[in-house]
Amino acid sequence: MADTTLQLPVIDTGTIISALLVIFIAYLFIRLVTFILIFISERAGQYRITVKMVLPLLKFTIYGYTFYYILANILKWESSQLILFGGLLGAGIGFGLKDLFADVIGGIVITFEKPYQVGDKIKMGDYYGEVVDIGIRATKLVTPDDNLVSAPNYLIFAQAVASANAGVPEMMVVIDVFIDSDSDVAQAMKILKESVMTSKYVYVSRKRPFTVLLKDFPYYRRLRAKAYVNDLRYEFEFESEVTRRAWSEFSKYGIEASHLNIFEGEGQGKKSV
Amino acid sequence: MDESEEIHKQVIGFQAEIANVQTAIADFECGHNLNIAIIGEPYSGKTSLINEIERMNPDKVSRISLSSIILDRNEIQIAEESKRVFLMDDCNFLYMRRIGGFEYLEEFLKSAISNGKIFITSWNLYSWNYLDEVINVGRYFPVQIKLPKFTTDQIKECILSNYKEKEIRFEEDVEFEKEKVIEPKKYAFLIKPLEKTINIPYFTINYSLLKIRLLKRKERVEIEDIIFEKIHHVSNGNPGVAKIIWQKSLEYPVIKPSKIKDESFNIDLDYNESFVLNIILSMKSIKNDELSEIMGPDYQVDRIIYRLSKQGLVGSKEGFYFIKPEALKSIVEFQKKLRLVW
Repeated sequence: MADTTLQLPVIDTGTIISALLVIFIAYLFIRLVTFILIFISERAGQYRITVKMVLPLLKFTIYGYTFYYILANILKWESSQLILFGGLLGAGIGFGLKDLFADVIGGIVITFEKPYQVGDKIKMGDYYGEVVDIGIRATKLVTPDDNLVSAPNYLIFAQAVASANAGVPEMMVVIDVFIDSDSDVAQAMKILKESVMTSKYVYVSRKRPFTVLLKDFPYYRRLRAKAYVNDLRYEFEFESEVTRRAWSEFSKYGIEASHLNIFEGEGQGKKSV
Repeated sequence: MDESEEIHKQVIGFQAEIANVQTAIADFECGHNLNIAIIGEPYSGKTSLINEIERMNPDKVSRISLSSIILDRNEIQIAEESKRVFLMDDCNFLYMRRIGGFEYLEEFLKSAISNGKIFITSWNLYSWNYLDEVINVGRYFPVQIKLPKFTTDQIKECILSNYKEKEIRFEEDVEFEKEKVIEPKKYAFLIKPLEKTINIPYFTINYSLLKIRLLKRKERVEIEDIIFEKIHHVSNGNPGVAKIIWQKSLEYPVIKPSKIKDESFNIDLDYNESFVLNIILSMKSIKNDELSEIMGPDYQVDRIIYRLSKQGLVGSKEGFYFIKPEALKSIVEFQKKLRLVW
């Protein structure tokens, strides 16, 4: 009669050291590849995001191969032992590793589905910033205030993620200016339009047009310019430059900012400050 | 050599473009009014083409040649008595990239579609691309002729047309034979935490030399062809740049391949400097005060110009700044990376 008892795999110190060494080499290799690719991408101009796009895929491939190599060549487990390992892993996931496992699966989904890529500007939960890394466990963002935020990958299943540029360097920027209702609105729109189209940061093409819109509010008017910045890293500079130049020109034509309106009481009208 | 023959030599390589313009003029006489835009890089031969069109149609054309940014609308006033074919060279001088800087251009475009004349205009490629995206200038010019890059043979024909047969001596030299296809170089990389610089070795490939060497293996190549292949590569097919490189390399009546320098420019500029370079590239030539007007009071144009000159990108003559022809190729590549030219 055949022996059906499952043999627990024996792992000696040498095997552990070998496995750790392989993991360490894989880690170093990933760091090196990441460094080289980022170095190249930062010099690639408009292809920056395209070059960085391969980073997460490369990481998961290297880590996946490392995992396979350890199981097949260092631990040399048989199928029965793998089943046992799978069972233990399942129990581990059930007890406490489920978040880590969800993060890894989230990372794989992000890599293949590409809801965002390294280099994109995204809004995830309460955070907004440029994606600098998509790791095994977390996505790292740099916010406009230069904070490094580490968002767990499983968030991709739990909440919507907005990518402002979806893998291209240009992104739309919405710029609002509020003017007094009595100001010459046609002139103001012309100035804002020219401020956008002459900006050093603007990017215009048939697929990336710009527009200036007007909306009336009770005591002021809102002019809204929608235009693309040539590189998402200049988002705030673009907004600031257009606003500054537009206001500088508005002053020459007597176009004023909306006034603060204070109601003094029934029948007494309003007072502008 | 008479004057007409001299002018004709300047437009070698533009036969197809001239034929297109002549057809449009002939169609106009039959009642089809299609304005023409001739579009090309700096030094690509736009003015030579306009000169040739004027020469070929002396009784039909009137002409305005702009030489700097328009400051007075009278400069572009089209007289009633002017002829029915109207030539305007360097239309990039009709606008300035600032708020309120499109007034004269808009007036001109309005008259171009309502005047009953045919307008043959020339435009800087980078100005045209910008204007076509932001104000759709292409709508006003149904016939758009983009000047092509020259082939090696066209450059050779164009340059040699200025000399008698066997006037120039093409000589091989040892220095050229020593030039390497693969050149080892070192990149100085700064390790910030350690504040140390390490030199990382890398290689560059001289593609034009590689092409010449491969050609030489296949068949017997004349030294003359090697020289023009090199000029073609360095000038990137731009005939004006090719002529300037030829003049710089020629030790009359001898020219040697090693004298044709493929200068590479490691452009190191911040964004504002790059934008000023973009304006100069788009305008052909521009004065200091005009640049200051575009950039606004917050920028020191003098300092920026100093940096651009120091890197050999910009030259100046009689108060005007212009792109140095030998740097044109590197500048365009750099500007494309920054997405400043579209």
